[in-house]
Amino acid sequence: MEIDSERNLQRKQATYQSLDESFMIQKEVYKGQQYSHIYFARLHFMRTLLYSLVPNWKPHLPVCTILGLEEGKECIIVGTLFKHMKLKPSILDEYSKERSVTSLVKPHNFVHIDDCLILEDESGRVKLTGTLLSPSAYVTGIVAAVHGKDSGAGDFVVQDFLEAGLPPQVELPLKSREDKYVVFVSGLSVGSSTSNPLQFQLLVDHITGHLGDEKEQGIAAQIVHLVVAGNSVEIPYGLLNGQNLAAKDQSRLSEPIKELDILLTQIAAGIPLDIMPGPNDPANFALPQQPLNRCLFPGSAAYNTFRSCTNPHCFVLDNIRFLGTSGQNVDDLEKYSEANDKLEFMERTLRWRHLAPTAPNTLGCYPFTDRDPFLIESCPHVYFVGNQEKFQTRLIKGSEGQLVRLICVPKFCDNGVAVVLNTKNLECHTLSFATQLSS
Amino acid sequence: MATKSVNMKGFYRERKGTKGGISKNSSPKRKKPSSKHVSPITQPAPLISHASLDLKDDEYDKNEDVLRQFDMNVAYGPCCGMSRLERLERAHRLGLNPPKEIENLLKAGKVGAECLWAGRI
Repeated sequence: MEIDSERNLQRKQATYQSLDESFMIQKEVYKGQQYSHIYFARLHFMRTLLYSLVPNWKPHLPVCTILGLEEGKECIIVGTLFKHMKLKPSILDEYSKERSVTSLVKPHNFVHIDDCLILEDESGRVKLTGTLLSPSAYVTGIVAAVHGKDSGAGDFVVQDFLEAGLPPQVELPLKSREDKYVVFVSGLSVGSSTSNPLQFQLLVDHITGHLGDEKEQGIAAQIVHLVVAGNSVEIPYGLLNGQNLAAKDQSRLSEPIKELDILLTQIAAGIPLDIMPGPNDPANFALPQQPLNRCLFPGSAAYNTFRSCTNPHCFVLDNIRFLGTSGQNVDDLEKYSEANDKLEFMERTLRWRHLAPTAPNTLGCYPFTDRDPFLIESCPHVYFVGNQEKFQTRLIKGSEGQLVRLICVPKFCDNGVAVVLNTKNLECHTLSFATQLSS
Repeated sequence: MATKSVNMKGFYRERKGTKGGISKNSSPKRKKPSSKHVSPITQPAPLISHASLDLKDDEYDKNEDVLRQFDMNVAYGPCCGMSRLERLERAHRLGLNPPKEIENLLKAGKVGAECLWAGRI
């Protein structure tokens, strides 16, 4: 490649360490185990943690198991929340003789005014009542400590509620650093009718520094990393109808991946990139989704800058800890609980210290026996979620000085928006590519 | 106890009889042998009868008894879908301090590696 400008722009470098190991499924063997093991591991870990917080929270109160509750005695119980939901779809509804009462107006989620929370531990379960807790904000699978007393009617009247809170965070190195950018993009949907190949090509050209004047190229040279957060391709599933595929259709089926590979090769030649699988990608369905097979990308897989990662994905770049998913966890929370915006769901998952509390209840999940990989033990500095409707970002602060940048990465195929994060100050802006073809 | 089981059988036969009576179309010739063969399946032996585990057909010694107690202990989590050793190792990893006795038994071999329910559910 010839360099025609006098100034030779040097791309910045960043140290990178992948922390995906806990999301890898390697030695696990399926032996007919059920999901109870995950809840056991989750409850055990979270209960140990909550028990250590209780003396600072309410030192004067005894801690009970649910079976050990006594009528009228104030105490603290720790357990897994179960949200009883009237509108939650059940496979058994199909077989019930009486038609279930469903309203004609289809609600946007399964939350209902009559939902109630139940707390469970190994010994038993008890219904939580009282005005303090609003069930709409919680989902099944969260572990929390509850202060209250047994009402005598088999209910537990809640007086106070404690969740684990933001996990401890490794302090961000504060030495004056240079501007380095990380680009997030999701929902490329190569092959779908809504994706615009020109927009993606412009993104590639911008990142690799083939676009704009010297100033713009100077900014592009500061991009050190690209994360592709899921739904990179849209495979024409209509072709798969159980019949044998004609040779012509076989090539049509793999066309989107080939196209993606061509574009990713151009990026991988310039900067390191991580590609995560998403719900539409040719990967396994259940979380944690395993890396897309490198054979799918014969061009870009030749570069060591190309990394096929898991979903959820965790890595450390220049001592900044990143954690993110392709969006399934937040999308599922939206179906079963309510919040003002997507960022609030993200914040909650951090405070509950669990990436996907609704897994395995309503979110597909591998039946782990010895651990719950979605527990967040160390607080990330950047937490991103892909495939959302619009770009949103917020900086949240924890009680112990934790600082987390939350990012909702929009779908690129919708309006050509990628997100850029400056690792110097965790500031965030969008990179918008608009193409107006003669209309 | 014995009278009770007799009563149960009597009850069962009676029900079969009434059923045959209602469905007159089915030939009684076919009915008779099938009822004899089916009855042990439709009325399986209870797992616990006369306050002892009804598992006497397989080898079942004192060690197995201790291990079954370990299987049923909720403190170490669910036991289905993993071997006893794996469950013991998980308990170690989670800091639950499982009894040394179990570890010795499992490490020495000669005892069942799978949990109480393996192959039964």
